[in-house]
Amino acid sequence: MVLVRILCVFAMAWVTLLAPGPSFAQSEVKVGLIAPMSGPWARQGDLMVKGANLAIDDINKAGGIKALGGAKLKLIVFDAGDTVEKAKNAAQRMVAQEPDLIGATGAWLSSFTLGVTEVTERAELPVLTLSYSDQITARGFKYVFQTSPTGGAQSISTLPALMKMAEAATGKKPATVAIISDNTAAPMSFAKPMREGGIEKLGMKLVVNEIFTPPLSDATPLIQKVRSSRPDLFLLLPTAISDDKLCLEKLHEFGLGRGRVPVISNGAHIGAPDLLKNLGKDLLEGVMTVVANWGAKGQEDIIKEFVAKTGEPWITQDSISTYGDMMIFKEALEKAGAADRRKVAEAIRTMDTTTGPAHYFPGNRIKFDENGRRVGADVVIVQWQNGVPLTVYPPTSAVAQPIWPKR
Amino acid sequence: MTDWQWFFIDILQAFAAGVLVGGTYGLMCVGLGIIFGVMRVVNFAHGDFMMLGMYAAYYLVTGFGVLAFLGPYAAPIAGALLAGPIVFAIGWLMHRFLIANVTGARVISAEAEGHYAQIILTLGIALVLANGGLILFGSLPVSVQTPLSRESWEIGEVLLNKARTVGFVLAVALALLLYMFLTRTSLGKALRAAADNPIAAAYVGVDVDRAHRLAFGLGVGITAVAGGLIASSQSFQPYIGFDFVIVMYAGVVLGGMGSILGAFWGGLTIGLVQQMSTLVLPYQLQNTAIFVVFLLIIFFRPQGMFGRVWERT
Repeated sequence: MVLVRILCVFAMAWVTLLAPGPSFAQSEVKVGLIAPMSGPWARQGDLMVKGANLAIDDINKAGGIKALGGAKLKLIVFDAGDTVEKAKNAAQRMVAQEPDLIGATGAWLSSFTLGVTEVTERAELPVLTLSYSDQITARGFKYVFQTSPTGGAQSISTLPALMKMAEAATGKKPATVAIISDNTAAPMSFAKPMREGGIEKLGMKLVVNEIFTPPLSDATPLIQKVRSSRPDLFLLLPTAISDDKLCLEKLHEFGLGRGRVPVISNGAHIGAPDLLKNLGKDLLEGVMTVVANWGAKGQEDIIKEFVAKTGEPWITQDSISTYGDMMIFKEALEKAGAADRRKVAEAIRTMDTTTGPAHYFPGNRIKFDENGRRVGADVVIVQWQNGVPLTVYPPTSAVAQPIWPKR
Repeated sequence: MTDWQWFFIDILQAFAAGVLVGGTYGLMCVGLGIIFGVMRVVNFAHGDFMMLGMYAAYYLVTGFGVLAFLGPYAAPIAGALLAGPIVFAIGWLMHRFLIANVTGARVISAEAEGHYAQIILTLGIALVLANGGLILFGSLPVSVQTPLSRESWEIGEVLLNKARTVGFVLAVALALLLYMFLTRTSLGKALRAAADNPIAAAYVGVDVDRAHRLAFGLGVGITAVAGGLIASSQSFQPYIGFDFVIVMYAGVVLGGMGSILGAFWGGLTIGLVQQMSTLVLPYQLQNTAIFVVFLLIIFFRPQGMFGRVWERT
């Protein structure tokens, strides 16, 4: 009997020790990252993870979340795979398996983000995204925050900027434009205002207008249309590196590469180090891409740290934006004072800062409008120059002068 | 040049692209066709064996640079051809230790002649190869670097991509060699005997299991060569097999299941339809056009273009 009592006392003591109590400070706060880790977009997911890990290292080394007693941030990664269905399933797993997540970033491809945020919205989980599609923040959702300018906004501000660059270099305005895009959400969103009269409004003529389903098996008939129309501007808008390679090599083969037809793309994949490995610097020289974020003037320290720690040759939109997203979550947690997803969402909604996380986004301001779109988000134009994609626009962020291809 | 002249060039250029792309598709379909024709196995992992061929060519030429001494023009061709024996060996071993357990004489009395087990096994192999590839090769898209993929031969205004043209010539040559092997050699005749009537073949001394192993190795090896040829034109990652496996099945069924020659024509037809449909249809419907033509052919000729009447799809 005595033995039983002793065992009972030990058992009660053990249970008491294990039970969480108010005396235990929160030791870690979980943040999700949902992006393609497999399939054709896995590389972009990898770059996002690298940016997030670097930010979390920096935050934790600097003492973690001070408002939560120095709690450390912990990244939980979910594979969005290669289809919208897989991305949605991953989002369902994320909200079910990790109920204490305070927020997430993702899901790179706009089509995936549209699917993922349907799940996270119901779970009231704040999601920061670098995806471009206008639809992401046009559905009245309260827990989605778009740090990039939307595709439509990019389209509207890109053409005038490109026309100015062309006019400055050649002395005349471009008269004809060709658009070739894949049918994923981001390029469709980017090209929509141009296709629906934007080109004509600027006094230009749309001479080629093609949409394809990725991945391409061969780009010959597509680029043949560019060859036969010889546009002054060629907006080439795929999303997969395999399609970039097919199109750019075909341009070169048809004698239209290396500046004979100025090529402007959209998205960070055109500036990815992998494209250089697949194509070589000669074929990329002069190619421009419109992105939402890129390594810019004033970010030299973080770029240097990123290159040293990851072995990547430069920082792309995927890494710098995800780095910035982690900084936004840190700022929101400090402001909310609690590891509660709803309070974190409210802190992001009411955030208006030009310091801290604002340093990592063009426009240097973090404030979201009622739709969740970042106020003052502007496009960045990056151009391949001698094997490196450099920011050439806007002038405040530019690290090099743009070179307009001569025909 | 006038608009009409450009339109005429557009047609010729799309036709050329269709033939050149279709030739490589044809070779892939021949690989799948042998396996189906001889073993009656639907190999869902076929696209992933093609992926292995692409990586074999990549590592031989660009990754490890074993063939770099041949120069940027010859090395990719040699790499593609060498990918064949490498994947043949993998296929041979895979048949010996896995596929033989659910095919051939062992499963004649099993339910549906072992087809259920074959489907599950080949799907499992496909998943293991794709995900194993992701672990082993990584997710970075890679390609075999060669000037062939960005240069062309000119015939008037029509440009023939060098990598695609070389791929087409090799594909036709390999398909012809295989046809001759099957029709002129005793080993080839043994394969055909094992395909037509495995029990009778066994009675006359043909080792049916060995014939199946050879067919499987040859099938995946030939498709690996096609993969190696595509690796110069296209960047790829371990999941690329899925993009091609549907094309391969459509080609084999279109040509006539069991017909090697038919499989080649099936692949060629798919390439032509895929590229030429863009002249009249939106580019987005490129692959839809393939299946419309596929359904039409199957409607009017259920046995496929070259299939035997009793082997309906």
